[in-house]
Amino acid sequence: MDSTFDRNDAAVAVDGLTKVFRIPFHPARGIVAVRDLNLRIEAGEVYGLLGPNGSGKSTTLRMILGLVSPTQGATKIFGRDSSLAQSRESVGFLPENPYFYKFLTGEEILRFFGKLCRLRGARLKSRVSELLELAGLTNARQQRLSTYSKGMLQRIGLAQALINDPKLVVLDEPTAGVDPAGSRDIRNIILDLQKRGVTVLLSSHLLSQVQEICDRVGIVAKGTLVREGQLKELIAIENRSELVLENASESLLKEVEKLAAGSNAKLIERRRSTTTLERLFLEATQESKPANHANNANDNSCSKH
Amino acid sequence: MEPAPHRGFSFGRIFAIASNTLTDLVRQKVFLFLLLFALVVIGSSVFMARLSFQQEFQILKDVSLGAMSIFTSVLAILATARLIPRDIEDRTVYTILAKPVPRFEYLLGKLLGVLVLLGISVVVMSALFFAVLYLREQTILGEAARQFSAAPREQLDDALNQIRASGLKIDIVAGVAVIFLKACLLAALTLFVSTFATTQIFTVFVMVFVYFIGHLQAAAREYWLEQQSTGWVGKTFLALVALTFPDLQTFNIVDEIVAGVVIPLALFAKTALLGIFYVVVYTLAATFVFYGKEV
Repeated sequence: MDSTFDRNDAAVAVDGLTKVFRIPFHPARGIVAVRDLNLRIEAGEVYGLLGPNGSGKSTTLRMILGLVSPTQGATKIFGRDSSLAQSRESVGFLPENPYFYKFLTGEEILRFFGKLCRLRGARLKSRVSELLELAGLTNARQQRLSTYSKGMLQRIGLAQALINDPKLVVLDEPTAGVDPAGSRDIRNIILDLQKRGVTVLLSSHLLSQVQEICDRVGIVAKGTLVREGQLKELIAIENRSELVLENASESLLKEVEKLAAGSNAKLIERRRSTTTLERLFLEATQESKPANHANNANDNSCSKH
Repeated sequence: MEPAPHRGFSFGRIFAIASNTLTDLVRQKVFLFLLLFALVVIGSSVFMARLSFQQEFQILKDVSLGAMSIFTSVLAILATARLIPRDIEDRTVYTILAKPVPRFEYLLGKLLGVLVLLGISVVVMSALFFAVLYLREQTILGEAARQFSAAPREQLDDALNQIRASGLKIDIVAGVAVIFLKACLLAALTLFVSTFATTQIFTVFVMVFVYFIGHLQAAAREYWLEQQSTGWVGKTFLALVALTFPDLQTFNIVDEIVAGVVIPLALFAKTALLGIFYVVVYTLAATFVFYGKEV
């Protein structure tokens, strides 16, 4: 066994992962979706997997979850081979644009997934109620999923991913098509998971959102991991600093500019701080609570980092 | 909350998927309409013209058992054909298999849901059929008792026994059981085809083809063997056909029941075992294909 898997405390360990989709009747040709991917996600991290459409993100997630077999390489979840059903004991997955059995109600779909995780009786009942409350769907629990909006389907999807109180949650575009309020709620849930030590593997096109919640990111292009690292380090511009002042007078600002001019530093830009379009939208639509994690001391674009 | 300890095999997971499948199928109104249609056919057979009680009972049994056979076969194919392709197309299968659910449990659960639906349908149709047959038998017995009231006891008993011999007998239950087994076989075979088919339409088309080949192959085989001497190539080919396409005519004992032929227990047991064998083989084949399928 490769020495990579000796360290079995990683939530997700991917080693030399390659996936080639064969073209029928052309065995010599194939589409390389993922090429020699190596990845390690530590327990408790929020990891963002980014990449353009067709870069291999979803294929990678599906191989990690054992839904697709790799052509080469291996993946493990908490030390267990992903091809084993047992490896998904503590895993929750929300696929992109989830579609659930529309003939079931919100409560029934959660009960169904709970039974698949061998939850029973009072424990299942309380867990279902708890998650419906978390997802803000208590009033819609008896409605069939065919009546749910896109945002409600995403939230029930997130609820089913959490039914077994997983240690690893894999989210593929969790806020795709969701309005800002719903998106904020989902983001808060993810941050809450992180506080509880749950590992989150998130794939998203919404870079601003990834920037707000992820500890580390990996950027995939044409099936290969091209950049990876701590988010703070990746996005920091080395030789630039920001200074945000409140209630600063014009004379004070001019003094600061003068100080900078008299040194080796160069003033790049002076501008007024801005709120975010999300805050503006939420205030305008009379949302009651601003996003907890986004209540930074400043009014700049919300960011965890 | 600690997760429940993993089990490699769980009846709970299979029943959860089966229950979900059954709920899905029952909430599909098309199957309810099909059942209603079958019940109407069975119920209306009692109004068919008759000349004698033997003919009446024969028509009742022929139409009812025939309707049950056709309805359960159609239901088995249509209900099963949509299960796997729809889950894959809608990506519902991702959320299920992302749970600690082995693929064979997923397939077993789906098949079990269809088999339960078939069982319920057979029970409902049989109940109506038996009720109609029993009521007609009792009515005719009453008429015969009045007609032969003045006749010698032996003559009366003979007339009543003839009526009972043509009416509701245990052989009919055996016939219903075989119809159910045939439907189970078709469901399992449809499940197997759907694991490698790309669309539901293709699965249904293949199964219609298999259905007709299955009913005709025994007769075609005998005709061919009679018409020409067959070398080892021909015999091998015929053996392969028999293995690939189940001989559905084996599961057709309706004609014997209608004619009043007594079905030996050994024949029933052999037929039942053959049906169970086919169900197991096709389910295993479906599992083998599905494990290699990329969802």
